[in-house]
Amino acid sequence: MPHMWWVVAGSVVVGLVAAYLIWTAGRVERLQGRAELAARALDAHLLRRAAAAAVLAERRFGVELYAAARIALDAQPEEREAAENDLTRQLRSVRLDPADPDCGAVIAASRRLALSRQVHTDLVRDARSARSRPLVRLLRMGRGHEWPRYFDIDDPTLTVPADVPAS
Amino acid sequence: MRIGIVCPYSFDVPGGVQNHVMDLAEALIALGHEVSVLAPADEDSPLPPYVVSAGRAVPLPYNGSVARIAFGPVSTARVRRWITHGDFDVLHVHEPLTLSLSLLAVLSARGPVVATFHTAMTRSRVLAAAQGVLQIVLERITARIAVSALARKVQVEHMDGGAVEIPNGVAVAKFADAEPLPGWPGECAVGTGGTLGFLGRFTEARKGFPVLRDAFVALADTRPGLRLLVAGPGDPDDLYDQFPPELHERITFLGLVTEPDKARMLRSVHLYVAPNTGGESFGMILTEALAAGTTVVASDLDAFRRVLDGGRAGRLFPTGDPVGLRHAVGELLDDPAGRAALSACGDQVVANFDWPVVARRVLEVYAAAIEATDGRVIDQEWVGLG
Repeated sequence: MPHMWWVVAGSVVVGLVAAYLIWTAGRVERLQGRAELAARALDAHLLRRAAAAAVLAERRFGVELYAAARIALDAQPEEREAAENDLTRQLRSVRLDPADPDCGAVIAASRRLALSRQVHTDLVRDARSARSRPLVRLLRMGRGHEWPRYFDIDDPTLTVPADVPAS
Repeated sequence: MRIGIVCPYSFDVPGGVQNHVMDLAEALIALGHEVSVLAPADEDSPLPPYVVSAGRAVPLPYNGSVARIAFGPVSTARVRRWITHGDFDVLHVHEPLTLSLSLLAVLSARGPVVATFHTAMTRSRVLAAAQGVLQIVLERITARIAVSALARKVQVEHMDGGAVEIPNGVAVAKFADAEPLPGWPGECAVGTGGTLGFLGRFTEARKGFPVLRDAFVALADTRPGLRLLVAGPGDPDDLYDQFPPELHERITFLGLVTEPDKARMLRSVHLYVAPNTGGESFGMILTEALAAGTTVVASDLDAFRRVLDGGRAGRLFPTGDPVGLRHAVGELLDDPAGRAALSACGDQVVANFDWPVVARRVLEVYAAAIEATDGRVIDQEWVGLG
């Protein structure tokens, strides 16, 4: 009964395709979810840095730094990247003393923000590459999620004078 | 924090990655974290209490040298069991793109995964044949660390991803407190005496030993009592044959040294010379010499210039130039104050490479990976950064 074999072969192929599709859907879902969590962590670190900068500005360095911190805290999504870059520039233009607790908090927050930004960029890249596969697009997997977006800011790491040993 | 670290290479043989893993684990434990290290090892070999053996490693020719690794169904089962029992907050794998425990751990992991890339190799040949497999491995990694600028560059250019650059640490105390070998470094005065040190494969071209040899031979003529201390793998005859017979008694060869003896060797010389002609991605040995408080003379390579802070923490000479090296060495041996000034700056530089400092930076990467996996934000205090 040759057509019996066709049925068997057909079911095996269907089974494999189904398994692959389920696996791919799970993968897209996982990468998408991770990129969203990374975005939340990045958001939290941006707020922390701006808050730490505002606290510092109330005590030292004055109104310009304070304004930059406030603008970063209140920025609308579309203006946020520019506002954060402004804050980075403001922080770089003042002389931060690592021994001072408020300065130390800003330096630590900037370092954590830099890591968070790096991880977010990598995870968004993974999620985008998974979602832009032809099969994934054809079957519209992950359509319940927004298209993952990069957050494009300059490296917020501050060079601390202590990192550069005196001659 | 509960941390699981996977080392792909066997602890039965010494190596850079193995030392890195052990030093990192000890630094993390000292900071108050629970650490378990999974590594291949023979059943009866003595292991530190925090290491879990994943079974015997098999030697496999790989990437130009012989690596002892474990791979296969039995290893897979052990990795899975270790991960399940460990209940780790974060899993930290080293060299995940080699066919090894690290790769198995990445594929079995569920939570946040941090990966450290040590070598500047692009990728394993086996994996290069399967781009899709490579992608599946890479996308399971949450955060990547590169130990050198070169390793980071490979990440960015060839593997389409970023990486945080965190240098290798140095256990500064182990080097600073080491006892010099008996009778060393001997006397050193203006125009006479002095000891030079070299550590590494003197037969390997890129280590630049011939540059040091030429400088030493030329300087030994005019400087009585100048001595050379060499350590590293190799045949003594191959070393001594490079020098005129009358200089042989002024050269001491230690052969391959253990880590503690390496520290003692570095403490036993006035000047440590790194005449490398290229191929160094970081210059670990320079930070170790600086930690030992020894003045360093090194070729003007990018990696060395970076470690030596542009020449403030050690003397740089034009790469591959024996005459330049001879002048630098002659000058510094005659100038104890100059050596002390370079060493003082070296102490400051090496403080940034001290393991507790490096381990804190690694902890911040762990925090970033955990945050990106479950969305919570971690306080500095929680990772022991206070």
